[in-house]
Amino acid sequence: MATAVASPPTSAPPRTSEEERVRAARRRDRINAVAWRLAGYAFFLGLWEFASGRLMDERLLPGPVDVLRTFGELWASGKVPGAFADTLTRIGIGFAIAFVVGAAIGILMQNRLLNGFFRDAVTIGVTTPGLIWALITAIIFGNRPWGPLIAIVLTTFALISVNVAEGIKALPKDLIDMAKSFGVGVVRRNRQIVIPHLAPYIFTGVRFGFSIAWKVTVLTEVFSSSSGIGFEMRTASQLFRLPEFLTWILAFYVFALLLEKVVLEVIERRFFAWRDTIKS
Amino acid sequence: MSATDTRRDTGPADTAAPDTVDELPRRRRSHPVVRVLRSSLAGRIAFPIVCLLVWLLAIRIVTSIWPFAVDVLPTPTQVFSFMWDELTGETLAPRNVYETFGISLRRLGIGMAIAMAIGTVIGLGMGLSKRVNAFFNDWVVAILAMPNLAWALFCSLAFGFGDVGPIVTVVLTGIPFVIINVREGVRNAPTDLYDMARAFGVSRADTIRHVLLPSLMPFMFAAARYAFALGWKGLVVAEVFGGEDGAGWTIKFWYDAHRAYGVIGYALLFVVFALLFEKFLFDRLSGYFFRWRPEVNAADVVEQRFDAPGVATATATADSGNGTHATTTGPKPERGAGGDETRRSHDG
Repeated sequence: MATAVASPPTSAPPRTSEEERVRAARRRDRINAVAWRLAGYAFFLGLWEFASGRLMDERLLPGPVDVLRTFGELWASGKVPGAFADTLTRIGIGFAIAFVVGAAIGILMQNRLLNGFFRDAVTIGVTTPGLIWALITAIIFGNRPWGPLIAIVLTTFALISVNVAEGIKALPKDLIDMAKSFGVGVVRRNRQIVIPHLAPYIFTGVRFGFSIAWKVTVLTEVFSSSSGIGFEMRTASQLFRLPEFLTWILAFYVFALLLEKVVLEVIERRFFAWRDTIKS
Repeated sequence: MSATDTRRDTGPADTAAPDTVDELPRRRRSHPVVRVLRSSLAGRIAFPIVCLLVWLLAIRIVTSIWPFAVDVLPTPTQVFSFMWDELTGETLAPRNVYETFGISLRRLGIGMAIAMAIGTVIGLGMGLSKRVNAFFNDWVVAILAMPNLAWALFCSLAFGFGDVGPIVTVVLTGIPFVIINVREGVRNAPTDLYDMARAFGVSRADTIRHVLLPSLMPFMFAAARYAFALGWKGLVVAEVFGGEDGAGWTIKFWYDAHRAYGVIGYALLFVVFALLFEKFLFDRLSGYFFRWRPEVNAADVVEQRFDAPGVATATATADSGNGTHATTTGPKPERGAGGDETRRSHDG
């Protein structure tokens, strides 16, 4: 870049060759990176496959091939969609409640008294392991449907309220003041300034929250549920069927990652498409 | 978290209150008593009281509907007398609370030491070489996103009861944070200082001692902090499934005995334990490590960079300049877009 600017415009041919060389080097870099990445996959999957049966007993550490085969069997047995659906509805309902509660607390925390009131609640919500909520709700509610939902709400609401509170705190005051002094109405002001400003904070809260929510859901299902991924995992581990156990958790893990990284990110990019135009 | 929290506490908390949206120009100066009642301290004190009241009320209501719920809904007095018994060393569990937490801490310490050692090596490699980075990157992310329940259950099945399963769980939950932090540390190393050191003929050992290590220090510290917080959560889950003693095993002991007051009391002990560690140990240590750096609280700076809420918001929060939310969003900093941002700025 710097050389291209420094060189006079008359010397066109050497510059193009230089650009080409840079481009070629960059292409080589990219190919290199892809190759090393593939090497990484090969290495770790190979290590896993090698370790099962050689370094550790095959029943204790089933290899990736085993896991794939087991997934095929489970899929054929027809248990997979039902378990996924159960867990997903639980996540959906629990997370929706957590979002509403968390956002409400985030808004209420702008008041100084309520800020003091909720601060410790948020700290406790963020620092307490999900396991503790899972056990407490399990012992209180047994396997009624409320237990897992309350556990999800208690573990995720704090992240959302923290993000909402931060977003409100960083509201562009000067813009709002200007809008006010130019007589922009309340509805339009909120629609055009406040909500676009808060949206990224809320999205972050949702993404963080979701990544925790699905883990907690599976954890609570292990203790207090008779359906869903966690229940299947518990059954498999009690029967000492490690291939089945690994298959359940890995299948749901891949699925949740897909939701988290692909679906949420695509929605977010859609939502903030207007931002790129500003940036460039 | 404590330092920033209290600092922010003294500042005017309602500067950006939504009042500004609902045109309310300035609150009139009120009576001092009213002001005290409105202060955040009053709210802080009110919180546990309200919790207790809600708790008592819930018991009253629930037991009037289902009389048998007394079993699973312990009263606050039951829970606190249980906690007092535990703290004075009188317990029905096989070990008292100090031994229990000691065992867990030992496992956590061993696991964290292993994670720091391996993670530093891999992180250094990933920061220094693009190829090594490409080799490991996806797997680090994959391990990071794995729920600790999976590690815990798997390790308990694969390694049986004892120390190995929990320790391996701690290593696996903690290591991605160490790797990512060290990598960022290497990438953010001050190249101009290296150039200067070379120009002035500073020896290699001195460069490492006085330039590389101090520049990595805040990152290592943040790594240790996260590895501790998440390793602890992982360890507890692992001990529930595959321990014969330790904190997780003991809470499961009370759960299996169907003593709800035991479970809740132990959960409160967990909270106290985690807060003590965060507030006293890590704040002290960070004060000690960064005493050469008087003006910034380095841990806050670093943590903010790692788990700032998003690309768009990272810049916004940089202005407001408090690391509070960064530390509170702590548990899941992996895809903190702040990290993405630094990565992009490095590549670009």
